[in-house]
Amino acid sequence: MSEAGRAITVSHLSKRFGAFTAVDDLSFDVGRGEIFGFLGANGAGKSTTIRMLCGLLTPTSGTASIDGIDVGRDPEGVKRRIGYMSQRFSLYELLTVEQNIRFYAGLYGLDGDRFTRRRQFALEMGGLVGKEHVEARALSGGWRQRLALGCALLHEPPIVFLDEPTGGVDPVSRREFWRLIDGLATSGTTVLVTTHYLDEAERCDRVAIIHAGRLAALGTTAALKADAFDTRPILEVRGAQPVALMGALDALPMVEKTSLFGTAVHAVGRDAGVSAGTLRAALPPGLEVTDIVRVSPSLEDVFLDVVDRSEARGAA
Amino acid sequence: MRSALAVAVKELRQIARDRRTLMILIFLPTFFLFLYGYALNFDIRHIAIVVDDRDQTADSRALVAAFVRSTYFDIAGATHSDAEATDWIDRGRARAVLVIPSDFSQALRSGVTATVQVIVDGDNANTATTVLGYVSAVLRLASATLGGRAVPALVSVEPRIWYNPELRSTVFLVPGLIAFISMITAVVSTALSIVREKERGTMEQVRMAPISTLSFVLGKTLPYLVLSLIGAVAIMLAAMYFFGLPMRGAWPTLLLVVTLFLIGALGTGLLVSTLADTQQVAFQAAALIAMLPTLILSGFIFPIASMPVALQVISSVVPARYFLVALRGIVLKGLDAGALWGPMLALVAYACVVLGISAVRLARR
Amino acid sequence: MRRRIRTLIWKEFIELRKSPQLLRIVIIAPVLQLCMLGYAATTDVRNVPIVVVDGDRSPDSRRFVEKFAASPYFDIVDEGMAPSDIDAHLARGTAWLGLVLPAGFGSGIERGDRADGSQRTVQVIADGTDANSSGVALAYVQGLVGEFNADLARERGTPLPQIDGRVRVWFNADLESRNFMIPGVLALLLMLITANLTSMAIVREREIGTLDQLNVTPIGRWELILGKLLPYALVGFIDVLLVVAVAVFWFQVPLRGSVPLLLGASMVYLVCTLGLGLLVSTMSATQQQAMMTSTFFFLLPMIYLSGFIFPIENMPRVIQWLTTLIPLRYFLVIVRGIFLKGVGFNILWPQFLALAVWGTAVLALAAARSRKRT
Repeated sequence: MSEAGRAITVSHLSKRFGAFTAVDDLSFDVGRGEIFGFLGANGAGKSTTIRMLCGLLTPTSGTASIDGIDVGRDPEGVKRRIGYMSQRFSLYELLTVEQNIRFYAGLYGLDGDRFTRRRQFALEMGGLVGKEHVEARALSGGWRQRLALGCALLHEPPIVFLDEPTGGVDPVSRREFWRLIDGLATSGTTVLVTTHYLDEAERCDRVAIIHAGRLAALGTTAALKADAFDTRPILEVRGAQPVALMGALDALPMVEKTSLFGTAVHAVGRDAGVSAGTLRAALPPGLEVTDIVRVSPSLEDVFLDVVDRSEARGAA
Repeated sequence: MRSALAVAVKELRQIARDRRTLMILIFLPTFFLFLYGYALNFDIRHIAIVVDDRDQTADSRALVAAFVRSTYFDIAGATHSDAEATDWIDRGRARAVLVIPSDFSQALRSGVTATVQVIVDGDNANTATTVLGYVSAVLRLASATLGGRAVPALVSVEPRIWYNPELRSTVFLVPGLIAFISMITAVVSTALSIVREKERGTMEQVRMAPISTLSFVLGKTLPYLVLSLIGAVAIMLAAMYFFGLPMRGAWPTLLLVVTLFLIGALGTGLLVSTLADTQQVAFQAAALIAMLPTLILSGFIFPIASMPVALQVISSVVPARYFLVALRGIVLKGLDAGALWGPMLALVAYACVVLGISAVRLARR
Repeated sequence: MRRRIRTLIWKEFIELRKSPQLLRIVIIAPVLQLCMLGYAATTDVRNVPIVVVDGDRSPDSRRFVEKFAASPYFDIVDEGMAPSDIDAHLARGTAWLGLVLPAGFGSGIERGDRADGSQRTVQVIADGTDANSSGVALAYVQGLVGEFNADLARERGTPLPQIDGRVRVWFNADLESRNFMIPGVLALLLMLITANLTSMAIVREREIGTLDQLNVTPIGRWELILGKLLPYALVGFIDVLLVVAVAVFWFQVPLRGSVPLLLGASMVYLVCTLGLGLLVSTMSATQQQAMMTSTFFFLLPMIYLSGFIFPIENMPRVIQWLTTLIPLRYFLVIVRGIFLKGVGFNILWPQFLALAVWGTAVLALAAARSRKRT
């Protein structure tokens, strides 16, 4: 992708707070119209990264450019071109839906025709038509989320940052929300979204897995799965006593690691040679095993694996 | 009981993490005590007075000397006209003007009452009264010694001052400061801490937990009781060490009185928290209900006896008033609990009322 | 740019309007505080409770006691039989002074110089706890005794030489403490309300997270600051008008100077208090911290050290020097000057200058610390 085509370019971005390194040498690109996911546990450095990209936090080192503008040198310059929705859906509780929209519109200088159009867009997109005079504090999670998104999009920014936008929201609203995000991307808006929900990460075009401030993995979900598990098959083993089963599997040299997956055990084989058959044969006879089948890796498997490897690298 | 302790521990941990609040609750009161005790008093010295001596005789100069010798006054300068005198006072460079008429010495020696004019800057009414008192005292003294005749007064006065022979106003003000600072920390911190939970919405979570309202309230207020108690004791010790505040009573009685007062203060904070929705409102309400009455109506600075009746009545529901009587009684007069049953009963009554109302309001939610 | 500031102010006022509790407090509190201070704040000493022990019970001693009974300064609460009666009263605080007239008081007066001086000596036992009031009360006692002496001397035809002080008290002829206190209350209230409200309001936005949302918009730093300060400036100004109105029309405090000058001074002072609020907000992470910091670090010291109640001249030199850093001190001089002395800008300009300098410095410091990017 050419430089001009990239919406976001991050190069060796770092942030240290005293002795603590929150973000460590991050580098990646995001293309226009892409839905880019930031996946990581709480405290991994996702929010810190977004705040640096939005010009809210000064990086300790490294550079980032948004829509061609160097954020480090010209933080104010990017602000017209970005929309931001924070973790807490920062809305003014005492203001009504209408007033919140008017407020942000005022800050971005929208007036006349443009204001009317965008206001209508925000209301319709959020399903808030008819709720204009409801105070924000009276709205439930899903509505607030959509209102916050609407307010962030009023000025039609080409790039949007969403920081854990679906926290504490019911599954139906979450699905709705993602449909909106898809719509945005289709119309050319670049979306960078952080999440710790794996099913949401699956809906992104590309995912960056962040662990302890570092970029642990980056790619489409398919690529990530293939990278991690093409040569290391995952076998799902079911039995009467999962815990005992796990212990037995761990003891086998052909098994790299195990993890509990619901009531079953996922065993990661060390090489492509490991299969249902070889595994069953290797298990001690006394153990009751109902089923062993190879499964395709889920993003959760990938995530745990990436984190494991990242930690191992860190410890080394 | 155990759940109350759990809440208390959590609150303490939150306080400990907020280092600034902790520092303010414990160390700052002591620091300010030091500052105020050193800086604040009503004793007045070095009153700037200008003299317009139109007599210019030995007698008039002797009168001026009498003012100087009193050690209360400093002659700031000499004026020769009313306009000049006005200017001195307008600009605040002198507090009083002494105008000695041209016939002063003559009147004095001929046995007629000699009149001098004294103009006092009344804008600071507090000091003006005292200045007037000093002026009268100097004039009276001068009356007896001038004019060449020493006539002994018929009736004389022998004053004896108890409890505070040097009439140091610090001794009077310090207990008031203790009351004031304790009141603020106890009331405001309690109110804010509870309202903060309300604001953040964590209140709901706590009320969902299997913990009774009583335990919750106890847990929330206990840490502040302990901290305020530590603060109060720290202030007392500092006052005794740095300002020679005497301690003529018993420490157990003192601690009992302080604890009673603090419980009432915490109850006030609790009451405020049941009324306020936001921290901003909680603070302003606490300031209104706690700080100002304690400062103004408790007898800390302004004598209650001199207030209009209506305010004296209101003052009777200000806990700091009784606290001060008790505190001063113990510290300065060495009274024991028996002699103080009146104020102590009042403190207990106040605490009960305030806690009672809070409990009712909390239960209703 | 003006539109953005207007939008911020509009939002702030909607929020204020929807917080009826806060509004009520911001309007009622000043008036209540004014009333409290206006009526209570007096160091005038009246109705001093005293106990009299007349060990003589002669016509002369009765006459002496009568002088005290008739005086508005004293209130005889008890007549005791023995000096020990006084102890109990002083201990309980039911009396501040005890007067003991010795047996032989009357005859001592009759015989004049030829009698033993101690017979003519009245013992005054004072509770020194309240040093200030005791001092004044003692002075009153001395005054009454002096009058008694003069009366006696006149009756005998040997009038004592007198220096009579014809005293005129300027600006406050009745020595109404109130006239002195109330203008001071204006200064105090403004600081209490505007500094606190402002700092807490800003910190609340930070706590909720809307501050981040604001910083992400293209709004300028100064627009943000003005948008936050101007609403509270207006609130403060309304409070000024309210307090001045109550002071003048209810308490009848004389307003001898120029009202426009007073309002102008208030505006300069508001810059100081709001700047202070902004500064505190940059130092506080939570509303509680903001409140604690502004109250304990700034407001309380200012109240005590500004000359509001305790005169600055009495303070040690070092502390007097310290008080030059307190804006409240200068505003007090201005307010009292305008109310009581009726002086104008030509006399008050140094105070105006001090306030302007302080306000500018604080605002600049606070603004420097209020960056959009941390």
